[in-house]
Amino acid sequence: MSQPLLSMEGVSKAYSADAQILRDVTFKQGSNEFLAIVGPSGCGKTTMLRCISALMSPDSGSVFHEGQSFDDPPPWLSIVFQDYNRSLFPWLSVRRNVEQGLRDVARSERDDRVSEALTAVKLDHAADLYPWQLSGGMQQRCALARSIVTAPRLLLLDEPFASVDAQTRIDLQDLVMDICERMSLSALLVTHDIDEAVFMADKVVVLSTRPATVVEEIPIDLPRPRDQLTTKETPEFLSLRHKVYTLVRQQAQ
Amino acid sequence: MPRDIRLRALFWQTATVLFLLALWQWSAVTHPAPYLPPLKPVALAYLSLLKPGNFMDTVFPSLSRLAIGFGLAVVLGTVLGTALGYLRRLDPWIRPVLEYLRFVPTVAILPAALLLFGATDTMRIFVIAFGSVFPVLLAAIDGARRGNALLLDVARILKFSLAEKLFRVVLPGALPSIFAGVRIALSIGLVMMVISELIAANDGLGFYILRNQRLFQTANVYAGVLMLGTIGLILTLGLLSIEKRVLAWHRGWRGLSDARS
Repeated sequence: MSQPLLSMEGVSKAYSADAQILRDVTFKQGSNEFLAIVGPSGCGKTTMLRCISALMSPDSGSVFHEGQSFDDPPPWLSIVFQDYNRSLFPWLSVRRNVEQGLRDVARSERDDRVSEALTAVKLDHAADLYPWQLSGGMQQRCALARSIVTAPRLLLLDEPFASVDAQTRIDLQDLVMDICERMSLSALLVTHDIDEAVFMADKVVVLSTRPATVVEEIPIDLPRPRDQLTTKETPEFLSLRHKVYTLVRQQAQ
Repeated sequence: MPRDIRLRALFWQTATVLFLLALWQWSAVTHPAPYLPPLKPVALAYLSLLKPGNFMDTVFPSLSRLAIGFGLAVVLGTVLGTALGYLRRLDPWIRPVLEYLRFVPTVAILPAALLLFGATDTMRIFVIAFGSVFPVLLAAIDGARRGNALLLDVARILKFSLAEKLFRVVLPGALPSIFAGVRIALSIGLVMMVISELIAANDGLGFYILRNQRLFQTANVYAGVLMLGTIGLILTLGLLSIEKRVLAWHRGWRGLSDARS
């Protein structure tokens, strides 16, 4: 049997003796799987993401990418952060921002791939603008383009839609699902938005309050392609949403 | 700024300058004294400093020392400061030394520099560089340290090397702070330039002013002082225009429009 794309095995992390963030977190993510992690706010989702991406090492337990563990972020992994305002290089244009992932690639190929990524996020018309000349949603699309231009296998999304308005959030959700499908890209979405998690994911992992541990893994077997209107009106969606909501609320109490 | 406000500002600025010049001329004419010559000889002395021969003997040596000394200070302060600010682990070691040195009046280095290098151009360049390196260094350390941690995470994900992290992430982020340091360094550099030329020199503006003071050529003394002001003004304007170009992103990012700056 082949190794799962990502597996966390008994991961614990504490910042100090009385600030334990993660406690024995264990789950697996398969190839081409869209996984969403939800939990009460402040439960340690971002810490978990930093452990997954090897930006931080756990105190105990292991993170494996296809059976291997890494001290530095593996090259096939990309992250989109919540705070687009601080995760883009403000002194570089949109195009140059996206290019940063392809510094070793020959000029002509790089130009093609950057244009392709910008077209995929519908930002090709703004390639020469600077991030601060763009709206929040456009900045996040630029960050998304930079993440996919390296042709990653695993895309980590750290509350990527939390800082944009409702309509933009919906557009970005559709865009991300579409891109993951077309590029057969696995994604791991960390979010506090239960609707978003159920709507986008193949599997939702519910975390407890701090110190976070996995409470339950809920498979989401809604058919794809999913639609913001029709999918969200189906009884299956509503009952899954109810189930996840109840679990998260139990945690918060 | 709207056009009429700008015009009004220009009017009052010109009026102030003309008033001060008139006051000078009036005092010089009504109370003749050797230490205050009228405007005309001062203006003539000033213009004669710009003649090629005089310029090459007086203004050019000063400018070239300043260029080398100040340039060294900017490069050294920026590179060293960026690296030190990024490598926080070095902080406990370097911080006390830097905090101490910043309070040493840089002019006090002059006698030591004279012993070390003699009355040479090297001594003068060293003194200028020594005086102006600290504001740049401290500003660069500060700017690099307050840098954006999230961008460094992005850099790690994108596999930036240490050099790339320093020069493509930390340095650009520290540039707004560095430019503020460079502006202060320029004025200190000018002071150090004049002072270094007051001792055992045979050319340069500092030497020119001192010699004419000894010869009671007061018009020349004032012409030299005004020339220093001109140099400072031109260099500052040049620096601001570079800053405006290099940091265009910063004003945009901070949400400042061109019209307000």
